[in-house]
Amino acid sequence: MTPLEAAIVGVLGLNAMVTIALTAMGEVIAERSGVVNIGLEGILLASAWLAVYADIATGSWLAGYLAGLAMGAALGLMHAAIAVYARGDQIIAGVGLNLAAAGGTTLGIRAVWGNYGQSPPVASRPPAFDVLGVRVSYMVPLTFLVAILAWWLLERTEWGLRVKAVGDDPRSADALGISVERTRLAATVLGAALAGVAGAYMSIDYLGSFVKLMSAGRGFIALAAVAFSGWDVLGALLGSIVFGLGDALSTYYTTIRGSSAAAYPYRTIPYILTLLAVSATAWRARMPRALGRPYKRE
Amino acid sequence: MEPVVELRGIVKVYPDGVRALDGVSLRLYPGRVHAVLGENGAGKTTLMRILYGEIKPTRGELLLDGRPARFRGTRDAIRRGIAMIYQHPRLVPTLTVWENVLLYFASAGVPEGEAEERLEEARRITGFDVPLDARVEDLPLGARQRAEILRSIAAGARVLILDEPTTNLTPQEFEGLARAIEGAKREGLAVAYITHRLPEVKAIADLVTVLRRGRVVASELDPRGASEEELARLMVGELPPRPSRSRGGPGDRVVLSIEGLRARGRMEVFVERLEVREGEVLGLAGVEGNGQEELVGAIVGYTPRLSGRVVVLGRVNPTPREYYRAGAAYIPGDRSKALVLHFSVAENLAFLRYAHEGPALLTFSRLARLYREVAGEYGIVAESPWAPAGSLSGGNQQKLLAASQLHMRPRFLLAVNPTRGLDVATTRYVRGLIARLADEGAGVMLVSSDLDEIIELSDRVAVISRGRITGILPAGKATPERIGLLMGGAA
Ligand SMILES: Nc1ncnc2c1ncn2[C@@H]1O[C@H](COP(=O)(O)OP(=O)(O)OP(=O)(O)O)[C@@H](O)[C@H]1O
Ligand SMILES: [Mg+2]
Repeated sequence: MTPLEAAIVGVLGLNAMVTIALTAMGEVIAERSGVVNIGLEGILLASAWLAVYADIATGSWLAGYLAGLAMGAALGLMHAAIAVYARGDQIIAGVGLNLAAAGGTTLGIRAVWGNYGQSPPVASRPPAFDVLGVRVSYMVPLTFLVAILAWWLLERTEWGLRVKAVGDDPRSADALGISVERTRLAATVLGAALAGVAGAYMSIDYLGSFVKLMSAGRGFIALAAVAFSGWDVLGALLGSIVFGLGDALSTYYTTIRGSSAAAYPYRTIPYILTLLAVSATAWRARMPRALGRPYKRE
Repeated sequence: MEPVVELRGIVKVYPDGVRALDGVSLRLYPGRVHAVLGENGAGKTTLMRILYGEIKPTRGELLLDGRPARFRGTRDAIRRGIAMIYQHPRLVPTLTVWENVLLYFASAGVPEGEAEERLEEARRITGFDVPLDARVEDLPLGARQRAEILRSIAAGARVLILDEPTTNLTPQEFEGLARAIEGAKREGLAVAYITHRLPEVKAIADLVTVLRRGRVVASELDPRGASEEELARLMVGELPPRPSRSRGGPGDRVVLSIEGLRARGRMEVFVERLEVREGEVLGLAGVEGNGQEELVGAIVGYTPRLSGRVVVLGRVNPTPREYYRAGAAYIPGDRSKALVLHFSVAENLAFLRYAHEGPALLTFSRLARLYREVAGEYGIVAESPWAPAGSLSGGNQQKLLAASQLHMRPRFLLAVNPTRGLDVATTRYVRGLIARLADEGAGVMLVSSDLDEIIELSDRVAVISRGRITGILPAGKATPERIGLLMGGAA
């Protein structure tokens, strides 16, 4: 690999990082409050689909992004209603979301665009700049900004303290006068909204159209990045860069070198790193203590 | 005198149908300590959780300064100056004390700029000081409780609810608490004080109300006019007799022996020699935090043993699994670590039984039968075998824990504060069970922060101080004074 090729792979990696990073950072916020959402894959798909639909319908990429955000927030609200208020099983709710989104968007392609595979190209693609001949979305620098904001929110604000309190010890949080339900609801919706933006990025920005099941596991990769990060937004960003680079490297080997055999290790290495990281006991100790557990008062 | 708060005709039926309160009224007056007494499961904690806005009453009303008030949650109560100190501290363990204080102040509406000043004032009133930068998790329970009281008073509480505050305190710490309450009274706070320990009532209460099965059986008594026996009778009806040991003397068989044991947990303990024989109760006295936890852990096998030997019923340095399988039992001091609170009562019994007897096929009917046996024999009050253990009152959880161990008819029992949080009658009852176990030939090691309990039951009393055994006294010579001297480290 020449230095130029390496640099190009790096840029591609950053483009690939955005979806995973936004999703993972959002999930860090939700999980710090004690709510796990394994329906991220479904949120990515549903918001990607709606973003393309809105973009084409209005001719505005901004409408596409807003539609993605709204879809994410709405699904987050639904998940919170089940997980926080109805005290349902969070894993089952997430699985349901994934299945429903996979079926719903596939049907949506057929219903709206009349075929079984993909949408037409979007009418309006967000502005971007060029690095080494590669299109780079403004979402790349924006993702770093979001990371700093999310870190600040969790580590430097009272709201962040409340989120951590309800995620680690909801009973004590309750006794401190914090509404466990409302705090969890807010964190879950915020987290899902970020995944919604990530979904919109994936379709209207990164690819320029919607393709059947296009999220291809990125929602689960984001979950891996959350574990990798030790429930820290900056760690999640770092993890997403690693996954993004793995993605770019495997793309490099399949498309430029034409060797898909060499591509597999690069897709696999980030997972091995994640496994190693989460199997360290010190790592597991960082998990929010009430993660996945509904809070019952009486 | 006008009460600050008044609860009127409170009825509480929990979602699973338990009628915990059946028309209870209670008034709290400024500058007065109102003790609320009652047997385990009488409804004391439930009443206070309602006053604190944590749960809602099914019926009845709440008056603040004579006007009806309605709390949608704890935050509303905190805003209106009501503070509750739960039996087990409710501070987020992963945050620092300061962060917990900030969250509470935010709920109470204390501006951040005033925080320091208010805390200083509260320090003066209570005489408490707590390290604000420490992570809550790293602090002993007593310090956590002081932090809670301090921040409540700093936030301008007018009503202070203390639910069995001395459960996790040493006798010295109780004196500190009494002084803080004195300070709070001078500031005009109304205090509700729940306890099972009658001497405490005599020491600090101005009024006494007694609950029994969700009803008031005596209201606003003057504690000076009632003897401890009378109060006890109001709480529980007839008291069972004090347990007596037949003291046939220990047998020959050694059930626990410790030689040159060094173990390390939070601190290091070293025990040169310690033995428990069959038919004997060995008490272990000491100020909490002097190595009891480590020694107990090293006996059962969950604290690493650095050197030396522990032999339990012939098993050398057992793992916890071997410990139980050998026929030994263990009642840990912290029941939240021994019960899975969101699992049912029957399931918890099944776990504890599994520890002793190994895997077996469990069916619902078998579990229900196990529950009926144990609950019947030990008088555990639960809605059904399938009620979550967490829905039992504090005392009934403790009974469940003790019962599950005693039911296995162990040949060696290690019990840590086995009657913590139990009412007077149940305390006597459990102590009676331990006495009977020893009389029937089992060896018992009783670790307790309650000297009366140790003296009442033990054949010999060992005293631990700073991780060392500072002396072993035979029953006749084990007076509070001598034990106290050894606890201070005098050899
Ligand atoms: N969350 C709950 N769900 C259902 N029942 C409950 C719950 N909490 C308490 N109860 C029941 O309500 C009754 C009163 O319990 P409460 O905890 O108020 O008693 P208490 O007087 O504080 O007893 P203790 O001295 O043992 O702490 C008990 O029968 C208990 O089993
Ligand atoms: Mg109670």
